[in-house]
Amino acid sequence: MPQGIIENLIEQLSKLPGVGRKSAQRMAFFILNMKDEDARALAGAIGAVKTNARFCKACFNITDSDLCSICRDSLRDRKRICVVEEPSNIIVIERSGGFNGLYHVLMGALSPIDGITPDMLRIKELAQRVSGNGVDEVIIATNPNTKGEVTAKYVREALSPYDVAVTRIAYGLPLGGDIEFADEITMKKSLEGRRKLD
Amino acid sequence: MLGRTEGIVLRSRPFGEADLILEYLTRDFGVRSAFAKSPRKIKSRFGGSLEPFIHSRISLLGREDASLPKLTQSDIMTSFQPLREDIKALLQATEFAELILKLLPEREPAPRVFELLLWALSTLQSMTMLHGMIMSTGGAAAGANASGVTAPAAVKNERETRERWQFIPAVFKARLLSLTGYAPSLRGCARCGAGSRVFYPREGALLCGACARSGPSLEISAALPGIYRNLSEWPLEKIMRIRPSSGLLAELKKFIHVHLAEGIAVTVKSAKFGHGPAE
Ligand SMILES: [Zn+2]
Ligand SMILES: [Zn+2]
Repeated sequence: MPQGIIENLIEQLSKLPGVGRKSAQRMAFFILNMKDEDARALAGAIGAVKTNARFCKACFNITDSDLCSICRDSLRDRKRICVVEEPSNIIVIERSGGFNGLYHVLMGALSPIDGITPDMLRIKELAQRVSGNGVDEVIIATNPNTKGEVTAKYVREALSPYDVAVTRIAYGLPLGGDIEFADEITMKKSLEGRRKLD
Repeated sequence: MLGRTEGIVLRSRPFGEADLILEYLTRDFGVRSAFAKSPRKIKSRFGGSLEPFIHSRISLLGREDASLPKLTQSDIMTSFQPLREDIKALLQATEFAELILKLLPEREPAPRVFELLLWALSTLQSMTMLHGMIMSTGGAAAGANASGVTAPAAVKNERETRERWQFIPAVFKARLLSLTGYAPSLRGCARCGAGSRVFYPREGALLCGACARSGPSLEISAALPGIYRNLSEWPLEKIMRIRPSSGLLAELKKFIHVHLAEGIAVTVKSAKFGHGPAE
C-alpha cells in the first residue's frame, strides 16, 4: 500500500477542529479497518453535506431544502421565535425539549473589537419576520458573554418598533454547581434573575 | 518563568471546541496571549472571569519567552461589569483595548500602560454610572419635576458629565501615545524651532511656513500644546481637575484623531459601530 494514501487521510482529518496529528492518525487507522459500507456512508455524508446543505430561507438554520424541517413543521408554535447565534445552538435547544416555537439564526455575534457590526448579522431579516405577522414573543438565546449580551441589546433595539415581547434566557448558576465556587459576576446575574417560587 | 501577576482582558477568541485564547495586558509582563482550557464549558472553574476588561489576579504557566502560556488561575479583582452593560462604554473600552494592542509591542513590560488602562476603565465606569443616574433622575425632573431636581440644572449636569466622560479617552490616548513613543511634537517648528500653529500629521510635528511640506495639515489653537502637555504629564490622580472648555475638548479630540489616523495610520475596528444604537 502506498504510504501516501493514509498520510493524505491523516492530513485531511487533522484539519478538523480539536483534532491534532495524533488523533488524526488514530482516526485514519480506525477508518482503514472500518467495514466497507460504514466508511462509504461516512464519505457519502460528508459529500452530501457539501452538495445539499444550505441555509433555510426563513430562519437560516441548516437544511437541504428551501425551508428547514422546523419551519415546515405545522405543529410548531409560530407565535414564538428563539434567536440564536449559530445553527448548532438549535440542536442543543431542541434536545432540551423546552421549546416548541421557531428559530432565527443570526449567523454570529456582534464584536466591536473584531469589526463584526450589526449589518453583518441577520438582524434585519429578523425584524422583517417580526413585522410581518403574528409573532408574540422573541426569546433571545445568544451566549451569556459580552458578545452575546451586546448582540441581545441590538436585537432588542431593532425590534422596538414592533408590538412583540422580547425576552432573554435566564442567567445563573449551572445545575449541579456550588455557590461557593461561583464568581461574582455569575452570582450577581443569578440574583438579578431570581424569580418567585410557586 | 512567568507566574502570578495582574491582568486585564483586552480581547479573547474561541479556539477549538471550548477553549479560549486571551490577550491580556499584565502588570508585570506587558501584553501577553494566554491559552485557557475549556472556559466556554458551563461548569468551567474560570466562570465569568475571562470577559473583556475584567481585571483579575492571574497565573500564567510557561517560560518567559513562551508564545502561548497556559492560564491556570483567574480571580476577579475588578469586574468592570457596568462597562459591559452600557454599549457606549463598552465601545469606548474596546477602543482602549484596540489601541493598546496596536501601539504596544507584545511581551514588553509596560506597568505604566497597565496603570493607565486601570485608571481609564475605573474613571469611565464611574462617569458612566453617574451619567446614567443623571439621565434617569433628569428625565423624570424634566417631565414632572417631582424628584426635586430642576430641569435646567439636570440638563447642565448631563452636558457636564458627558463632557467629563469624553475627556477620559483624550487623556488615555495622549498618555498612551507618550508611553509608546508616538507623542506628537508640539514645541514650535520641529525643523527650525520657530513658532508655528500648523500641525503636519505625517511629520507628527508642527512646522513653520518656511519649513512646511506638502501634505495634510491641521491648524491648532494657541491653547492646544499646553493642555496636551498637561494631559500627558499630570499625575493621573489629579488629571480630572483639568477642565477644558467644550471648544478646546472638541479640538483636542480632533487633533488626536488626526494624529492617530493620518500620522501613525492607526484605525480601530470598534469605530465601525459609530456610537451604538439610539437610546
Ligand atoms: Zn427554518
Ligand atoms: Zn521651521
